[in-house]
Amino acid sequence: MKLSAPGHYVLTFDAGQKMASAVKPGQFLGVAMDTGGMQFLRRPFSFYSADPETGHASILFSVYGATTAQMARLAPGETLDILGPLGGRAFTPDTRPGAHQVMVGGGYGVPPLAFLARRLLTADPDSSVTLINGARTAEFLVGTEGLETLGIHLREATNDGSRGTQGLVTLILQEILEARAEHVPIHIYTCGPTPMMRAVAEMAMRYEVPCQVSMEVFMPCGVGICMGCAVERTDQTFARGCTDGPVFEAREVAWK
Amino acid sequence: MEITTVPELSVRIGSLTLRTPVTTGSGTFGFGSEVAEFVDLNKIGAVTVKATSREARAGNPPLRMVETPAGVLNAIGLQNGGIENYLAEKAPFLRRYSVPIIVNVPGENPEDFAYVVRRLTDSGAADAIELNISCPNVSHGLDFATDPRLTAEVVATCRRATHLPLIAKLSPNVADIRPIAKAAEEAGADGLSLINTVIGTSIDAKKRRFRLANITGGLSGPAIKPIALLHVYRAAQAVEIPIIGMGGIMTATDAVEFLLAGASAVAVGTASFVNPAVAIEISEGIAAYLKENGFATVGALVGAIEP
Repeated sequence: MKLSAPGHYVLTFDAGQKMASAVKPGQFLGVAMDTGGMQFLRRPFSFYSADPETGHASILFSVYGATTAQMARLAPGETLDILGPLGGRAFTPDTRPGAHQVMVGGGYGVPPLAFLARRLLTADPDSSVTLINGARTAEFLVGTEGLETLGIHLREATNDGSRGTQGLVTLILQEILEARAEHVPIHIYTCGPTPMMRAVAEMAMRYEVPCQVSMEVFMPCGVGICMGCAVERTDQTFARGCTDGPVFEAREVAWK
Repeated sequence: MEITTVPELSVRIGSLTLRTPVTTGSGTFGFGSEVAEFVDLNKIGAVTVKATSREARAGNPPLRMVETPAGVLNAIGLQNGGIENYLAEKAPFLRRYSVPIIVNVPGENPEDFAYVVRRLTDSGAADAIELNISCPNVSHGLDFATDPRLTAEVVATCRRATHLPLIAKLSPNVADIRPIAKAAEEAGADGLSLINTVIGTSIDAKKRRFRLANITGGLSGPAIKPIALLHVYRAAQAVEIPIIGMGGIMTATDAVEFLLAGASAVAVGTASFVNPAVAIEISEGIAAYLKENGFATVGALVGAIEP
């Protein structure tokens, strides 16, 4: 385990080659820690990386409750109780030739996008990938380590202007959409706090650009049996965030 | 005393034989297909599937579920595709396994219940039926199980509609469960499931709002185990029919406590959210307990407690 920024941890574990080969960006796993009984549900974490060759995978987290506090105390060699890979629908890369893949992430929405970006560049080093990372302040800009050396165009936005553009990620996204060339298809992938994703989704729909959103909803079971992680669709039915998602088309979701 | 033979785990609910006393709580195991990759369904006593109503139900808006100290509060609102969807899309998968299927049936009036019960009986898509007369998460008075007369009316109407074992799922949200248990038995129930969830709510002080969109929810998990144990113990004193005990069972020891209180079988619910294979682990744990303590059968443990 290593600290990626103050209070943020990257936890690397041996997922086994089977899981590491099977996992797709956007999928997640459920971690259970012994918190003394008061809290027992698994907590979902998106995959940050998965290496089919070594069988190693990683997640990125910060301490915000009993489970993550326990996770931060894990020592090398300890066993991690995980269930995964979970998620019925992962990100589907746009395969149109020359497509500009634009990722918009905030906070804990960045790890699955970084994973997707790395996979895209590994599959095709000529891919055009931009990742827009947003946070309140510079110290919360996490999850993009090493991406620029792979050729990913990194853009950053902070509310206080302590790094990158001052303001919201949609400022940068709008700039990209305004400057788009007729012959270059754009595809947006977003994950982060719901208000951010809603703004990104609405902008994508306004510009008529395809947009996939990975919904960040509380997932009590992660395997589709509890029906607790409802995501309302535009047809007023409820999908399960875990097995019907977590990735949806922006226009499928009833944004409220 | 140590016995060398393998303890007999099978139990009976009416005409239905379960290979082990451990079943799954409705709404906590989907329709089996969701978790088939994590668990050998044939090693479970019975799969009690998600509530299946006459018509499809959209369910409640989010937020539907929150974790509370040692518990989970839910207000799903009986989201399901309706009986015809169950028969066409869900039952065929489970029927590929030999595990008995118990279908949980909610309804707004006795005729609704009886309609679904008849469809299940005629189609052969259930081995037993659990009458959900105690869901706390839907409005317009679906909580029949707070009234002995309404309980008897639903059970009697369904009794006329099927020869399959009928299990009445009762509510813990009553002062005394005994007259209700008795009413269900007299109306023809073959067994009782208890308890359903305990009604409650959760408030976010920071936002000064209720956490659940539905405001009220049903509490499950270890927090409700003492309540469930007492209701099972009292009901077991009042009726002859078998009881499926449930409410906060996380371990084999929890399950044994329910058997000692008078339950003939148990259901694991919330625990499956953490470990979909927990029903099998609990079943193995019960077998180990029987062996260590010299019981030849699970039946010998039922109600074996000093008053």
